[in-house]
Parts: sequence; C-alpha cells; structure tokens
Amino acid sequence: MEYIFAVLTFTGITVIGVLGSYLVTGLTGLFSFGQAAFFSVGAYTSVVLVKNLDVPFLLAVPAAMATGLLAGFLVGYPTVRLRRDYISLVTFGFGEAIIALLNNSVNLTGGAMGLSGIPQYTNFAVVWGSVAVCLTLVVGYKYSKYGRQCLALRADELAAKAMGINVNRIKLVTFLFAAAMTSYAGVLYAFYTTYVEPGAFGWIVSAEWIIIVFVGGINSLTGSVFATILLTGLPEMLRFASEWRVAVYCVIVLLIINYRPIGIFGEFELTFKWLRQLGKKGVKVS
Amino acid sequence: MSIQQLLNGVSLGSVYALIAVGFALVFNILKFSNFAHGGVMTLTAYIGLAAALFFSTWLSGLSLFAVTLLSAALAGALVGIVLERMAFRRIRNNNSPVIYYFISSITMGILMENIVTIFASSTFYSYPRFFELTVVNIAHVNIALTDLLMLVFSSVALMILLWVLYRTRIGLAIRALSFDVNTANLMGMDSNRVVMATFIAAGILGGIAGVFLGINYTLYPQLGQLIVKGFIASVIGGLGSITGAMIGAVLLGVLEVTLIGAVGAGIAPVFVFIVMLVFLLVRPRGISGIIVQEKA
Repeated sequence: MEYIFAVLTFTGITVIGVLGSYLVTGLTGLFSFGQAAFFSVGAYTSVVLVKNLDVPFLLAVPAAMATGLLAGFLVGYPTVRLRRDYISLVTFGFGEAIIALLNNSVNLTGGAMGLSGIPQYTNFAVVWGSVAVCLTLVVGYKYSKYGRQCLALRADELAAKAMGINVNRIKLVTFLFAAAMTSYAGVLYAFYTTYVEPGAFGWIVSAEWIIIVFVGGINSLTGSVFATILLTGLPEMLRFASEWRVAVYCVIVLLIINYRPIGIFGEFELTFKWLRQLGKKGVKVS
Repeated sequence: MSIQQLLNGVSLGSVYALIAVGFALVFNILKFSNFAHGGVMTLTAYIGLAAALFFSTWLSGLSLFAVTLLSAALAGALVGIVLERMAFRRIRNNNSPVIYYFISSITMGILMENIVTIFASSTFYSYPRFFELTVVNIAHVNIALTDLLMLVFSSVALMILLWVLYRTRIGLAIRALSFDVNTANLMGMDSNRVVMATFIAAGILGGIAGVFLGINYTLYPQLGQLIVKGFIASVIGGLGSITGAMIGAVLLGVLEVTLIGAVGAGIAPVFVFIVMLVFLLVRPRGISGIIVQEKA
C-alpha cells in the first residue's frame, strides 16, 4: 500500500512538471528542453537553503520559485524574440549547463554524489493538493486572455502580431509561469525523495514531459493529466518491461503523430458541463 | 594561446563542423531542428565499432580506420533513409505544422538511443587502437595522430559535400528545394527524392561524426547528446547556413579547448552556454547573417 502511495506521489509531481510543459508546448507551441533543469533549480535551491542556511521550509519554497523565475528570465528574455527553434536549442544548452554547474560546485551541491539526508516535508496529500492548485491555475490561464493569445500565436505568429498581440511578452510570461511551477515541482520532489543528484534531471526528462503532452493531445489539458497518469503511473506498477518502456513510448508517439495528430483526447476537455450532459443524455463525445 | 592548442581546437572543431553541417542540411530543407541527428550519430558510432571489431582480424592501421569510417557512413545513409520514411514522410504529406516534425525527430532520437541501450547495454566501450604511433611531430608541434586524421577526414568529407551541393544536379535540386518547396514542386521536381537525398547526406556526415566522437571520447548510449555542440555551432554561425555552421564549429572548437585549458573541463559547458547566450543577444542571426523567416 505504501508503495502504491509512493508511486502516486511521484505521478503527482510529474503531473505538475507536465503541466509546465503543457503551458510552454501545448499552449504556446515552444519546445523547452530545460524544464527538467528548472525542476533541478527548484530542488537544489530549496535543499541548500534548508540544509545549509537553516531557512524554514515555507520560506525556502518561494525562494526556490523565485530562483526558477530568475533563471527562466535569463534564458527566456534573449530567446523569445527569435525563431522558435532557438528556444529549444537554448533551453537544451541551459539544461546541460545547469548539470555541469551542479556537478562542479561540489562544496554546495555535493557534485555527482548528490545531496542526501533531506528532511521529508512533503507527502501524498501535499503533492496532490498542489496538483489541484496548479491545475486550477493552469485551467484559469488557458481560458484567460493570456491563454487565448497563446493559442493564437501558436497557430500563426504573424497573424497574432497583426491582431495586436504582443507576441514576445506573452511567450515570456508563459515561459516564466511554467518555470516557476516546475521549480515548485522540484521542491516537492526533493523534499519527498530526501535525495537529489544531477543525473536525474537530464533533457530526456524534459523530452518525456513533452511527449506526454503530445500523447494526451496538444489541445487538451485533460489529455495531459490522463496521459501522465497512464504513462508514468502504470509502468511503475508493472515494472517488468522497464527496459523497453521508453522504446514503447516512442513507438506509440510516432504512431500517434502519424495517424492521429491531435492526440488521444483531441480537443476534448473534462468539464462540469460535459458531466451534466453525460448525466442527461448518456455518452456523446464530440 | 599556443599553436598547439589552436591545432587541437581546430581538429575538435572539424568534428563539430560535421555535426553542425549534418544538422544544417536538414534544417535548410524542412526548416526544423533535427534532434534525431544525435540518435543517428550514436547508432552509427556503435555500428562503426562493430565493423572495426569485425574487420580487425584482416586489416589494421589506416585501412581498418578507413573501412570503419566507410561502414559507419554507409550505415548512416541507411539510417537516414529509414528515418525519413518512418518519421517524416507522412508528416510532410499531411502538411502538418513544424512542431510535428520537431516532436517526431525528438522521439526518433530517444528511440535510437534506447535501441542502443537495449542491445549494447549502457556500459562504456572504446574503439580499438588503430595505430601504433600516437603523436606526430610537425614543425615542433605535437599533434595526436587521431586529431590529425579527424581534421583531414572531416575536411575531405565537407569538401565533397560542398562540391555535391554546388556542382551537381542533385545539389542544385537540394538548394532549390531549400529556397522554396512549392515552386520547386511546380517545376516538376520530385521533392520526395530530394528530401531523401538530403537525409542520406546528413546520415553520412552523422556516421563519420559518430565514429570520431566515439574515438575521441568513449562510446556510450548518450553520445548523441553531443549534438548540442552542433546546435551551438549553428547558432554562432547562423542557423541554416552551411558555411556559417563550419565557421561556427571551428570557432567553438577553439573556444572550448581554450576554456578547458583555462577553467577546466567540468565547468567549461557553463561558459560555452554563456557565450552562446551573449551571442544570441548581440547578434541573433549568427556570423553568416542570414535569418530564416517563419513562413507566413
């Protein structure tokens, strides 16, 4: 039972990470390979603050998010003005640079050995409570002015500009929002596993989150959440094929991209309205 | 900086140039960053190792080295064909937005890395030693033989590529297609064939780069992540420009060797990243000055 709770907790943390990727990739159409790096920024900042400087945990959380924001600004500001490819290249480089930095500042971060003996402040309830809060924020963002502008610039940047949308600003705001949220997920992770090491935050993790967004359906937030639970939760419980797990992912993604480009859920969102209609008329998915 | 370091930097840069050019070729035509190129390099590096071990009973020295390169290049061409058919043909026919190319190439990259991990396990391998002699002395400058060979073979490969691009019919077709796909189609060009040719060329370059990387470092499934050097070189040189990528790569090689000498190998990536960031702030179009516009 404890094991299942642990798996579910990790899934919850991943859901928050994926929500960040959803904002950047699903909503805005940018590819960030640095999401996992923001995750590590959040994790390490909070751990160093709590362990080395005896800062209370509740104060370390906003500090970690602020550091994530700052890093996001440094990476995002020069790149949002450019073609979208640059943001993937730069975030990729950022991820590598962060890992190199973590590996080399041994005094502070323990280098490749990582940091252990972190107090366990988060648990199942805290994580899933956070998921609920983040999900509400992201849903609100999606249907706000910002979210609609993101969708517009994803489809056609030039047209969005012509309609008077400040494309660069919207991109930066979304990127920063995602960076802060991912840093928060990093804090949750560090204070749940009680151990952090640089190896766990490579670009593959970021890529996996993007893939999850695509499998669920790039236009569907519901899809992202369900795909996370499906793709991270289930394989954890059925560990036997772990070697092939990622390969199988990749094949599924290729099939989806080639044969069902809108993802499993397409445009579908699980809303109260849909549930009410379901109660009245039975299943009807448009 | 000594001539010694400069030479080391240039020979490292020549390998980066192979990566950057293979990446720029595909970018030119399909206008997306081909992340699968890293996977191609990993896969071909392992195939090159297998070839080297297989042929080492009959051959040795330079001939073994050449055969290894040749088989890796052939494998690269083959992987290029498979890649184009599996990951990009259908997307191209569907006229899907660029992000689908992107996600497809990332997925293929991860898939190839995983195939290598499954079949060769994640242990480290190294290439057999090709030569008895390891260091050559030219005019009082010592240069490692493999570095020298890297420089020579990369330069030759890039020269051949430039010749193909600017002096042959298929090269003309590739350039025309990278200029405007629709017009090229209207002129009766078979774009499928040209795209295939581009992927083959990129695959060959990736194969050669893979072997060199394998010799230079050790062989491990994440070798393909060195593709990031190719990206950085492309950013410095100007995304989508072939000659720009070469210049950027050589500069990057020299910069990296200097930085490793100055601050150590571990922290050097951080400085390289900062240099790239500054470059993007100051001159985002890169050295070559061409900027590829997002199609309206």
